[in-house]
Amino acid sequence: MSAVIETHKLSKWYGNVLGLSDVSLQVNPGITGLLGPNGAGKSTFMKLVTGQLKPSIGRVLIDGQKVRNNNGLFGRVGFCPEYDAFYEGVTGWQFLTAMLRLYGFDTAETNARAEAALDLVELRADKDRPVRAYSRGMRQRLKIAQAVAHDPEIIILDEPLNGLDPLGKRKIIRLIRDYRSEGRTIIVSSHVLPEIEAMTREIILIHQGKILATGDIHSVRDLIDTHPHVVSVTCDRPRDLAARFLGEDYVLSVNFGSAPQTVVVETSNRDRFFGRLPGLLVETGIAVEEITSPDDNLQAVFDYLVGK
Amino acid sequence: MNPMSPAPRQSFFQAWGRVFSVFFAFGRRSRRFKIYVALSQMPVVIAVFAQVNQAFQGQGFNSALLFFSKGIMSFDLQFLVLLLVLFYGTSICLEEVEGRTLMYLTTRPVPKAAVILGKYAAYILFLVIMINVGIILSFLVLNLRTVGNLSVYPVLFQYVGVLTLAILAYTAFFTLLGTLSKRALVLGLMFSFGWEAVVQYFPGATQRFTIAHYLKSLLPSQTTTGGLSFLTYRLEPTAPLLSVAVLLLLTVVFLTAACLVFSYKDFILSTD
Amino acid sequence: MIRDRGYFHWDGAFIDRRWPWWPITRQGLRLAFKMKLFKFIFVGSLVPAFVFLAGVYISERLEDFKAMVHGRGTLISVDPAFFKTYYSIDFLLLMLVMLMLFSGAGLIADDAKHNALQLYFSRPIRKKDYFLGKAGVLWFFLLILTLVPGLLFILFKIIFSGSFALLRSFPWLPLSVLAESLILTVFFSLYTLLLSSLSSNRRYVSIMIFGVYIFSDILFGIFYGLVRSPYAALISIKANLQQVAAFLFRLKPAFAVSWVYSLLILGAICVLSVFVLNRRIKGVTVIR
Repeated sequence: MSAVIETHKLSKWYGNVLGLSDVSLQVNPGITGLLGPNGAGKSTFMKLVTGQLKPSIGRVLIDGQKVRNNNGLFGRVGFCPEYDAFYEGVTGWQFLTAMLRLYGFDTAETNARAEAALDLVELRADKDRPVRAYSRGMRQRLKIAQAVAHDPEIIILDEPLNGLDPLGKRKIIRLIRDYRSEGRTIIVSSHVLPEIEAMTREIILIHQGKILATGDIHSVRDLIDTHPHVVSVTCDRPRDLAARFLGEDYVLSVNFGSAPQTVVVETSNRDRFFGRLPGLLVETGIAVEEITSPDDNLQAVFDYLVGK
Repeated sequence: MNPMSPAPRQSFFQAWGRVFSVFFAFGRRSRRFKIYVALSQMPVVIAVFAQVNQAFQGQGFNSALLFFSKGIMSFDLQFLVLLLVLFYGTSICLEEVEGRTLMYLTTRPVPKAAVILGKYAAYILFLVIMINVGIILSFLVLNLRTVGNLSVYPVLFQYVGVLTLAILAYTAFFTLLGTLSKRALVLGLMFSFGWEAVVQYFPGATQRFTIAHYLKSLLPSQTTTGGLSFLTYRLEPTAPLLSVAVLLLLTVVFLTAACLVFSYKDFILSTD
Repeated sequence: MIRDRGYFHWDGAFIDRRWPWWPITRQGLRLAFKMKLFKFIFVGSLVPAFVFLAGVYISERLEDFKAMVHGRGTLISVDPAFFKTYYSIDFLLLMLVMLMLFSGAGLIADDAKHNALQLYFSRPIRKKDYFLGKAGVLWFFLLILTLVPGLLFILFKIIFSGSFALLRSFPWLPLSVLAESLILTVFFSLYTLLLSSLSSNRRYVSIMIFGVYIFSDILFGIFYGLVRSPYAALISIKANLQQVAAFLFRLKPAFAVSWVYSLLILGAICVLSVFVLNRRIKGVTVIR
């Protein structure tokens, strides 16, 4: 699968302040989550990818073409900014149709697309209200609508779930997943890890302008050799299970968890642990209620990589 | 969303036209537009006052053309046009940067030069209509007794032409200023009411470094008398055709520079 | 209790603090001085004060300058006319307007734009503290250019002349300096805050601050040309200020119209400003 978006040694300085440093990566069709705390460089990356900023070093390519001042590309790209900003004195409908007109659509198609986009984000009933009277969530939905109304192949969303209520977030997440099924390329940024986890396993972790890791979240987790994995097992005889694991060389520590009947095992080799566990359970006849990996999630991955 | 036809390819002219129509519509809806329309009709108010004042004095307006030329035109050319154009010209770029709406334009298949030129055209149209309607109405009010006399109208058209050229040239200059600096408004005020107000009275070639010089060179009569003779004080006029050419050339140069700066400059929008 | 709003008017006690408006003023001053162009304008606006201060020196060192002026009897006389000239010159008044434009245009406009009013009033700040804090920013600059130079002229005249002759001849002079400074300060601060409260767009407010001042003067010129009446001067903010200055320094005004009318017009603008400010700030729901 050829990469849709490529960056090569991409760096950006704001005077003496580093915004992004030496980012070389490829983004394929599907959803890619861009994760990092506030000020990590997510918005800088997105602005570079959408041509709003000029790279200090390096280049950005979309389908092999340079992005900066290549306005022909933007018929296929949709961007939802982080800023809450709209033109003064316009209604939602006026704003959306104006943005669509800039794509060159005629009046009939502009209106049809605007109606469809407003339906998607459930703003049709409020389309004739001034944008200044919209709530924060409505304004966010309007921004998403202007990003997708022209049916782009590539969608770049900077903190799209900001300001949305839980139901709104679920709907937008579902919309984004639908776009993935249609073969589009979506980059979604967030500093809220569970939101990204709900959408995708393909992630780019960014911190202080540098890429910490890219790829499938589980693969990234597995690659972190320096940090042991933690597995929690809830069973009927936790002490017996604990005793059996103590002798294994790939087990670093065994503790009893705060929940009743729970053993928490720290292992340096997850594969060997899970390879051994079924046999152990059969040998001992221990009845297992639940097996979880508390640190097999983005927060843990991020914390490990940032070194918290 | 069901896929519809992809975004059509647009020529530069088509993109320019789209930007023009969008911002003409946006501009018409803003509250400030109504205030500026009211302000641009001040010459009419002045003209009405002048007529009423003359009526109370029980005589006709003998010097209507002189009052129009030296009073209302100087008010327009040295104040009203500058103030309105300063706001609209600097707004072309700065309102997008300050309002953080710039990315809506730069992430669309519209050349950046088309953004500048489209907004320029939309705001020029506002200004030309607002200011010239005010001038034409004030002229008619002052010349109520001679409305049917066609010989006075060429002068009016000449004034309308001068004001239009002033709007074109100054707006282009302030557009460039707006792309170059966030302090464009203050710099524009210093230029308009500092540089332009002072240097145009310098002798010799120096006065040719102002836009006002070429505009005044196009005014119907350079010989003046009375209290308002300051308008053409020390004016060493340039030939009319050359003045028009210089003004149009300056407009083109400023706009070209503005398009280039806008295309290649990084605009860092403020964050919350 | 379930609350359905983000910010609420401060419900707690208002503890008596000495200067509750001071943090607002301090922040405004910091923001003003952050702008390079503002510092340039500020320094430029001090030029008349330095020139007149030099004039005070020259008036006491005529011998040194007689060679330059070829034996003229008096070059500069430091008298009420000297002070009136300083407070009335076009350059100073224009620089005051420019300073107000820079330091004052965004004082209330930016708060309206960023919805920051509720941030102020959800803290123990009263409306008058808010206005005093904002006005304090403007008073700082206005007093530096009005009261401070006036008092320095008197002080340095006394020092250079080595006597209190100036005060013996014109004992009311310090009061006039104080009154004139207060009138300029109060008027320009209320004028600026009024316009800043009318819009959330700082650029538009800047245009209005400059435009209204210049526009009033140009209109005066046009109407004076039409009606040839001194009452046309009442249209111009600058002319009204000059009329009042002439009265305060006991000099003949430029226009044959009573200074009382000028003072009334300036006062009416101030009253209008207070009225409008009170209404505009009240419009925010969290304000009482």
